[in-house]
Amino acid sequence: MAGFFRRIYDWLLSLFWATEMDITMIGLQNAGKTSLLRVLSGGEFTTDSIPTVGFNMKRVQKGHVTLKCWDLGGQPRFRAMWERYCRGANAIVFIVDSADIAALPIAREELHTLLLKPILEGIPLLVLGNKSDLPDKLGVDDLIDELDLREIKHREVSCYSISAKEETNLEAVLQWLISKAKK
Amino acid sequence: MSYSKKDEDGDQAIFKVDRTTVFQEARIFNTSPISPRKCRIQLTKIIYLLHTGERFPTAEATTLFFGITKLFQHRDPSLRQMVYLVIKELASTAEDVIMVTSSIMKDTAVGSDVVYRPNAIRALCRIIDATNVQAIERLIKTAIVDKTPSVSSAALVSSYHLLPIAKDVVRRWANETQEAVIANKTGGGFLGLGSSSASIGPPSGYMTQYHAIGLLYQMRSHDRMSLVKMVQQYGSQNASSIRSPAAVMMLVRLAGKIAVEDSNLRKPMAQLLEGWLRHKSEMVNFEAAKVICELPDVTDAEIAPAVHVLQLFLTSPRAVTKFAAIRILHHIASFKPNTLQHCNMDIETLISNSNRSIATFAITTLLKTGNEASVDRLMKQISGFMADITDEFKITIVEAIRTLCLKFPSKQAGMLAFLSGILRDEGGYEFKRSVVESMFDLIKFVPESKEEALAHLCEFIEDCEFTKLAVRVLHLLGQEGPKTSQPTKYIRYIYNRVVLENAVVRAAAVTALAKFGVGQKDEDVKKSVVVLLTRCLDDPDDEVRDRAALNLKLVKGEAEYGWKFIQNDSIFSLPVFEHQLVMYVTGDQSTFAKPFDISTIPVVTRAEADAEDKSKKLRPASDLPTLKAPTITAPGARPSATPSSEAAVNAAAASQQYAIALSAVPEIKALGQLLKSSRVVELTEAEMEYVVTAVKHVFKDYIVLQFDVKNTLPESVLENVTVQCTPNPPEDAEEEESPLVEEFYVPAPKITVDNPGTIYVAFKTPEEADGYSIATFNNVLKFMTKEIDPATGEAEEAGYEDEYEVEDLELTGGDYVVPAFCGSWQVVWEQLGTGTELTEVYGLPKETVKGIEDAVNLIVSTLSMQPLEGTDVPLFTSTHVLKLFGKSISGGKVIAMVRMAYSTANGVTVQLTVRSEEADVGKLVANALS
Ligand SMILES: Nc1nc2c(ncn2[C@@H]2O[C@H](COP(=O)(O)OP(=O)(O)O)[C@@H](O)[C@H]2O)c(=O)[nH]1
Ligand SMILES: [Mg+2]
Repeated sequence: MAGFFRRIYDWLLSLFWATEMDITMIGLQNAGKTSLLRVLSGGEFTTDSIPTVGFNMKRVQKGHVTLKCWDLGGQPRFRAMWERYCRGANAIVFIVDSADIAALPIAREELHTLLLKPILEGIPLLVLGNKSDLPDKLGVDDLIDELDLREIKHREVSCYSISAKEETNLEAVLQWLISKAKK
Repeated sequence: MSYSKKDEDGDQAIFKVDRTTVFQEARIFNTSPISPRKCRIQLTKIIYLLHTGERFPTAEATTLFFGITKLFQHRDPSLRQMVYLVIKELASTAEDVIMVTSSIMKDTAVGSDVVYRPNAIRALCRIIDATNVQAIERLIKTAIVDKTPSVSSAALVSSYHLLPIAKDVVRRWANETQEAVIANKTGGGFLGLGSSSASIGPPSGYMTQYHAIGLLYQMRSHDRMSLVKMVQQYGSQNASSIRSPAAVMMLVRLAGKIAVEDSNLRKPMAQLLEGWLRHKSEMVNFEAAKVICELPDVTDAEIAPAVHVLQLFLTSPRAVTKFAAIRILHHIASFKPNTLQHCNMDIETLISNSNRSIATFAITTLLKTGNEASVDRLMKQISGFMADITDEFKITIVEAIRTLCLKFPSKQAGMLAFLSGILRDEGGYEFKRSVVESMFDLIKFVPESKEEALAHLCEFIEDCEFTKLAVRVLHLLGQEGPKTSQPTKYIRYIYNRVVLENAVVRAAAVTALAKFGVGQKDEDVKKSVVVLLTRCLDDPDDEVRDRAALNLKLVKGEAEYGWKFIQNDSIFSLPVFEHQLVMYVTGDQSTFAKPFDISTIPVVTRAEADAEDKSKKLRPASDLPTLKAPTITAPGARPSATPSSEAAVNAAAASQQYAIALSAVPEIKALGQLLKSSRVVELTEAEMEYVVTAVKHVFKDYIVLQFDVKNTLPESVLENVTVQCTPNPPEDAEEEESPLVEEFYVPAPKITVDNPGTIYVAFKTPEEADGYSIATFNNVLKFMTKEIDPATGEAEEAGYEDEYEVEDLELTGGDYVVPAFCGSWQVVWEQLGTGTELTEVYGLPKETVKGIEDAVNLIVSTLSMQPLEGTDVPLFTSTHVLKLFGKSISGGKVIAMVRMAYSTANGVTVQLTVRSEEADVGKLVANALS
């Protein structure tokens, strides 16, 4: 009986407090988007992740907030579709492989092209330098320079260094995302 | 009826939907949080629109599609299911559908909800493109062998759709598919049809087997041997692992197809088909019976077990079973009436069946099988319920009677009375047309009925609501009326039309009227026609006035000239004309430089055309195409054999085609006009390394042998292929050596598996023999063979000389004869007289000729003559008379009468009597059977 009331209570609570957020995760292929989302939603990290064809959606529950995370494919053929899924999102997460320095110029290009779209104006951006566990990774400051993040106007921008593998800094990522929920 | 009506109204009430509103409302997909109920209703509307034929333009479809992807991974399984249903439908119009691949794949994995897993699989296969099929390979393979039937079926059906875009990948799933065939999953397919009704109803379980067999068939359709194996493996009686009747049906059809395409496999397939006649599911029995009927040149022995099974069904308590059985028997009656003798009693009891459809088929079947004596009784029976049946069945009956009129001319009075009776009944155009045409046939082919039939038609047009029919009747009155004893009688009827009808009918009446005046000896009649036509000059319609003016000129003008014009006695040979026109319009641009040359089309007299028409009408075997199973297409299908009644028509069209192919070879073009091409003769068994067939072409002074060679060994290539052809004279000839001299040959440069080749060998015929030499050719294929390196696919440098002996080829009398029609066989027979008559008696080999039927086929094809008066269909199994006509390549008439008798002890004995305009042709034909 008690369980029943408990459920009613939860339900009422959810009616007033539950918030659902749309988060769009983009970045070049092999940056670790799918791995990150898996880990965030409570899954195990695996090394044999297959490339995402199209997109992939998972819910991440954090307190009374549900984050609907859209993880998009990073291969060139899917990049044109990023915009469609960024529209109306609460936040855009841009992930790069911080150990793959050669790929950074392309990542910068794609990011800036996307952010120029007027429809995406004002949406907060979180840039994540993933794979911080690897030896030759770049630090946050280097990433900010390499990706020209200071150039970005009219929106809130943050940059963290994380590792999906070793689950470094993930709590900060979640906190940042939740803070973007529209009150 | 009333239920479905209600449903329709209901639909209207629930869905007042139009495309624009639905598109607007689809914005709710983007709201957060998602309301599953509202979204489902919205999705239902989209599906509704798509299924009622509405199309979303690409941009809208794409927007909808991406809107819907926002609903992915919702917890409500019904919403997920709906999402997949809509995605599947939009996949073909929306852009970038590939985006949802990864997401859908999650729902297709083992462990996801069975409610939507099959839907996810089906949707996945619609959005995937060829390059990504490989990525879902593991997933589909697992799903195929899943223990839930709906999942397995979804995967199988999806693979079926993927096969065309990713053949190589899908073919790798054969093992899983085979596993699915034998897994024996109960439970319905995706619909879960749980009906446990009679065995004939919709298949209640094991649907997965049906899908699996269907897929296996598609996978193997390129490889006949493995198809054969499949049919034998799953089709044999002791391997009763196939429980799904629908799956067995598929095997039945496949077996039939194999039997048709490959004569070597006919026997084992026929055995399987016979086994299926005893299958426990009625629908399998029926299908097997139908397939057996469709086998080309089916023999009495092959069809007997089918007839037997159908006969048992005639006494089934279920009307639908009875109907199915009698419908097939009715079909059999039109080409093998003799095989139904034992059923007549059972069919007889059905003629008064309360189900009119069954009764109709029973009666028409009996009309086809019965003898002259039973006709009157049956006709009376039909008249009893003509009023109760639909037009469609009335037409079936009329068609049966029409054939009967031609078969038993002595019964014409009764049949004419019947036809004229029903002509007065209510009925639509098609029905009336079939009655009118039957009467036309009577007039044309049964002279005794002419005057009375014309009288009935006159009465018919007095009150005829169908302009088209009135016009046709008027035309016939114009043609036949003047030849009757009292032409004036018809003039009144025709002129009434001029007064009372619409312009189209009036114009036809004017033309008909004129035919009574042109060339008219009786001045009074002529004068009254002129008076009537003159009145027509004041008609309000242009066409009517023009025709009246023209015809007045003809009537008043020179008699002979007008007569010839009106008679219009010869027409172009339509099959040849059609073929030439098709060749002309489908040829390359350059053919249009020259106008179409109509003078190359042979002209036939009206009598010849009518004779051909009649012989076609006596053989209504082809008027029931509905019995055929829908064809499952596979490459390499061969057109089925054609009935012999069309011999002359086909011969004309085939020789046209050969003529074109041959004139492409300069050496052969120089030989002059092609006079005759034989049928294709097989010189090897079909399963040999090299398959060789031959065609004999006859020219004025030359014989050209055409050898078509197929190489069945993929690992070798044949180069510079020739045939060493040695002619030997017939055994009883005086000379030791054949007088035929080889003139030249045309080799085939290269023959591979995909690229068959043709070799020509030309012989000059001796001048003194009038061009009619007969011989037996001994044939040896000579060539250079080279191995193909499997790594590169290229032929190796070095090869070796080889030869390959094939069967002998006979050049016989029949090769100099072309099947032809004549107005009346009897008249020509008497014309040619006994002066040139030759008679020979033969016993046909018992092993290959198993009855009268076989004998007819053999003789028609060997003598290469046209069977006339419907004698290509024997009515009795013990005796038969075959009447044949043809022309020699130089145009001389040849006519033959073949009396045959069959006894189990001696097989078929034939007495062949030939009369001819050219003595040596007659002799050749008379000896052709030895
Ligand atoms: N060392 C290391 N490897 C990672 C990390 N995150 C992802 N990877 C690997 O990077 C590869 C690509 O990951 P995936 O999630 O498919 O990248 P996506 O294309 O952006 O979705 C995989 O082999 C992962 O195992 C990380 O934090 N550290
Ligand atoms: Mg990915």
